[in-house]
Amino acid sequence: MNAFGRMYRGETHIDFVGNRNRGFTFSGVAIAASLISMIFFGFNVGVDFEGGTVIEIENPSAAELSEVRDALADLGISNAKVQTRGEGVRIQTEQLSVEDEQAVVDAIAAVVGEDPDEASRQTVGPTFGRQVAESAVRALVIFLLLVAVYISIRLEWRMALSGMLALGHDLVFTAGIYSLVGFEVSPATVIAILTILGYSLYDTVVVFDKVLENIQERGDKHTISAIVNMSMNQVFMRSINTSLTSLLPIGSLLFVGSFLLGATTLREFALALFIGVFAGTYSSIFVAAPVLARWKEREERWQRVRRRIERKGDEDVFAVTHGEAGTAHQTIAAQSGAMPRPPKKRRKKR
Amino acid sequence: MSRRSAVISLVLTLVIAWGSLALTQATGTTPLLGLDLQGGFSVVLEAPEDVAPEVLEKAVEIMRRRIEALGNVQEPEIAVLGSNQIEVQLPGVTDRDRALAAVGRTGQLEFRPVLTVSPIPGLSPVFTSFGAPTPPGPEEGEDSSPIIDFSTTTAPGESDDETTTSSVTEETTSTTAADTTTTTIFDPKEGVILPGGLTWCDEDDSPGCVDPLTGLSVDAAPNQDAFLAADPTTGGGIIYYLGPAAVIGSDLDGASAQFQGGGGGGHLGGSVTGEWVVVLDFSGEGGDKFADTTKLLASFPIGDPRRQFAIVLDGTVQSAPQVANTVDPQVGITGGSAVITLGQSDDQEGEAQELSVVLRYGSLPVAFEQASVQSVSATLGSDSLRAGLIAGFGGLALVAVAMILYYRVLGLVNVIGLTIFGSLLTVVYSLLGAWQGATLTLAGVAGVIVSVGITSDSYIVYFERIKEEVHKGRSMRAAIDHGFQRSIRTILTADTVSLFAAVLLFFLAVGSVKGFALALGIATVLDVLVAIFYTKPAVSLVARSRLGEGGAVSIRGATGVPREATE
Repeated sequence: MNAFGRMYRGETHIDFVGNRNRGFTFSGVAIAASLISMIFFGFNVGVDFEGGTVIEIENPSAAELSEVRDALADLGISNAKVQTRGEGVRIQTEQLSVEDEQAVVDAIAAVVGEDPDEASRQTVGPTFGRQVAESAVRALVIFLLLVAVYISIRLEWRMALSGMLALGHDLVFTAGIYSLVGFEVSPATVIAILTILGYSLYDTVVVFDKVLENIQERGDKHTISAIVNMSMNQVFMRSINTSLTSLLPIGSLLFVGSFLLGATTLREFALALFIGVFAGTYSSIFVAAPVLARWKEREERWQRVRRRIERKGDEDVFAVTHGEAGTAHQTIAAQSGAMPRPPKKRRKKR
Repeated sequence: MSRRSAVISLVLTLVIAWGSLALTQATGTTPLLGLDLQGGFSVVLEAPEDVAPEVLEKAVEIMRRRIEALGNVQEPEIAVLGSNQIEVQLPGVTDRDRALAAVGRTGQLEFRPVLTVSPIPGLSPVFTSFGAPTPPGPEEGEDSSPIIDFSTTTAPGESDDETTTSSVTEETTSTTAADTTTTTIFDPKEGVILPGGLTWCDEDDSPGCVDPLTGLSVDAAPNQDAFLAADPTTGGGIIYYLGPAAVIGSDLDGASAQFQGGGGGGHLGGSVTGEWVVVLDFSGEGGDKFADTTKLLASFPIGDPRRQFAIVLDGTVQSAPQVANTVDPQVGITGGSAVITLGQSDDQEGEAQELSVVLRYGSLPVAFEQASVQSVSATLGSDSLRAGLIAGFGGLALVAVAMILYYRVLGLVNVIGLTIFGSLLTVVYSLLGAWQGATLTLAGVAGVIVSVGITSDSYIVYFERIKEEVHKGRSMRAAIDHGFQRSIRTILTADTVSLFAAVLLFFLAVGSVKGFALALGIATVLDVLVAIFYTKPAVSLVARSRLGEGGAVSIRGATGVPREATE
């Protein structure tokens, strides 16, 4: 049976908790790289946060960007960013007064051969974006507090904290990519970050819900690490499928936004989401769950369980073996016949 | 779940989802598009930090009136953001200069001496549109003219009622007047017969014309403007001919409505216990100007219209208080403050509050800071919409293919479920647009596309659970029922988290984030409803049919566990 077949049937026995150090190392490096990038490169902050004027206009006469720059220079604007966007031109300057802006629009419209009324423009004061972001951050803090309380009540407070940790991981990671690649940070990015947050928590909740269920069902028969491992294997296929169904529409948004039409807002949005959903799925499996396992392992109850199981010397397929690849492991387990899950008969089928 | 109830639930869900979609489409109710999807103009204006909420509301009211006067604006949206910002969205507006002129400046507050008044019986009092909508009670046939007097510190509250004769306030007198002005688009010229010699201004302002936007006569005579206002005593109109502004908004430091004077306890018998007043505080320079002007006004005899001061906001006479007879014509009202006495009744309390808001609004800077000005061309808007739709449908198609490949017949259940979800979402947005004016923005489109992933997850959680239960050795039917009970718990928990996010963002965040939160919230609620009323009965019925157990496309096929293995 190949690996995919096992995944399909939910029969994988990957040792997530035992291999946690790989995950932690990877995450640690990624977080460190993100932080370093944020410190040294900072962010490419968009016009909404810095203040400035953006003009977007179609370019029916296919004018060269240099012609547009010359027209701007004639008006005494030398430090404008002029780029091609979709089928049009995008010009970003420092904040212009209403009159100056009209003059610029008229001049550029003449160059590209378009009606000035067809130009889309935006002038933002330096504080507006900050206020949008601030209001979002305020909502965010309250949201996190509420969700932490909710998860604590519905599941367990350690799960709430592990989930928050994974969330922080995702946010830093996404922000790091933005900083490293130099994507523009816009209000769309803020929205995307908020979505990532919701998604990351959503995913963690699904995983932890399974852990809780397994604890209730098989409480003392396995160590907590084994239970977490077992739960991870059970939800593994769900995680992959969900990521896939989330990433398909987002990928489609990214593709359409980037290549087919010049819908820049969509593209920026999709990009943050793409990274975020990826990080969200990764972190619930490789960060949140192993952290939870280690943490709960220290609890009195689970230490007792561990001691008892070690005394008995039972073999457990889902037990943590530190660094063993899942496949080799499963073979041994299948031969020994000590299977905690598939209770009966399943092995008969082949 | 019994077969019968499954069939009923399934049929009902399909009828509701597709029927309501057909119904809304047939009646032409489609989602209202935000201006980033249809083009338009938006501006965020920023008032000083410490502005009072009611003053900000006043600003919104004045902007709304001016935008309505622009005509031709469908669904203008003016909203207060946070503590000191106003967002104006004008979908479809391309003339950005006119739009900016209408909302960019605050209304000018002026104190102008009255030169003459001329009542016009039967004139429709349209220009009084934003006075307080409190029609005077029947007992107010007596005079209700406000009196302007010394400040509380310099003069005892002995302002007398007996001297005032002309009865003019800005109040609207009839409910019909209020009605005409609250409809979305009104024509200020409608029903107004201009007195002789005056014409409406058009493109080329002819001398002496009346501006329909402000009711202000342009150059009626040197140093004189004519203003139309309502006369509460006759129910008709009145024209004030006013001199140039003597004191303006920036001369004013503040104003407040207060209940003043009165020694005795509150007798209900109608004895004078005190009065509603508006206290004005002027800046140093403003106080001097005010003293000079009141000195002049006080020289006219009691009852002369020229003893009045008209308070004009944005071209509308708000109030025309008369200078009290106790004011010394040699001195005027000095000390940098004054009171306007309105009277004792509850109506006059309302008037006092309204007037103080008008005055405080008028003391704001001439123009609000423009925090953000954006205009989206119709072309860009429709491009964005097209991109969103292509991306949405493309993404859905990909999800459908993946789900069918992976979950076989269950994947088909998911795809039909997504069409139900999509129909309901469209219907909800259409209705929200029609009833609440909620618009679908680009951020909302993004929210919808994201929610496709979350919705699919509900199916995946359930389907994976069915597989797991089958692996445990349960029968197909038991696996489906038990699987649903377990997975709906997970779905509810996870959706609660999403809903928290949506609700909080909707109420606490501003700008495009709000549109996103709305989409996320609606989608999350629909997700739970669809899971309960569609997915559960649909899967249950499929399991009973031949597609439950037989062949590679069946549920059994999707679980990868042959039937004989479990029996």
